[in-house]
Amino acid sequence: MADIRPRQNNLGIAGWIWAGNYKLERYLYILHRVTGLGLILFGIFHLTATTVFRVQGEAVWKDTMAFLDNPLFRAGEFLVVVAFAFHALNGLRLIIQELGFALGKPIPPIYPFKDAPRRKRLLTLIIMAAVMVLVIFFFIDFSAGGWG
Amino acid sequence: MKNTYLQLAQMVSGALVAVLLGIHIAVQQSSVILGFFGVRVADPLAFSSMIERARQGTWVGIYISLLSLGLFHGLNGLRNILLELNFSAATMRVLTALIIVFGIIFLALGTYAPLVLLGR
Repeated sequence: MADIRPRQNNLGIAGWIWAGNYKLERYLYILHRVTGLGLILFGIFHLTATTVFRVQGEAVWKDTMAFLDNPLFRAGEFLVVVAFAFHALNGLRLIIQELGFALGKPIPPIYPFKDAPRRKRLLTLIIMAAVMVLVIFFFIDFSAGGWG
Repeated sequence: MKNTYLQLAQMVSGALVAVLLGIHIAVQQSSVILGFFGVRVADPLAFSSMIERARQGTWVGIYISLLSLGLFHGLNGLRNILLELNFSAATMRVLTALIIVFGIIFLALGTYAPLVLLGR
């Protein structure tokens, strides 16, 4: 009898990059993951800056703020806000779908089939439009405040 | 069953973090946003503004809630990613323990500063 082995289809981290036939939603899943990891890294940096340096008094705080007040950190700060806007709104989409809302009524599986991602595409596009509006708003906001 | 509750907690904490972080970012950008409409407010990053907020129990409550929920959401999300990488059960137990220790250290560090400033 032939030895039956499970298919070795676990691609690990490399599997994050190739979305195959899943297209948009799968890339959003990867972006959700990457922005999440980025926000954790920023959170650690931010927490250290606002605790260790803050409790040491006004002079240390002012020095820290002066050090961070440059175009590189301002651009980084903008990217963090963009990552947050995407992660929060895409997370909202995931919660809405996981709880079964906005999925439409069940339809019989008649050819040509309409797959699940395409049935949810409108919600996805609305959420991504909202992300774009927020990104534009924050770009104007950061530009008005100066880039360092 | 444990992971089902963790997934539910991940969703709830995510929604709460989005609201609290939204408030935090809006306050940090308030001088620019309100300045656009001609309303002048103190720079929220100035030491005096920061100390003023740090002395108000509501803000301390918001920051500590944001810190706790954010740490849980971020670190549980990190654990979910690690679970997908098919580590052995023993390795995963060690990684989970490390994540919990890391979370407790940063929760203590992040809670210490607001409480110290609240007392000043």
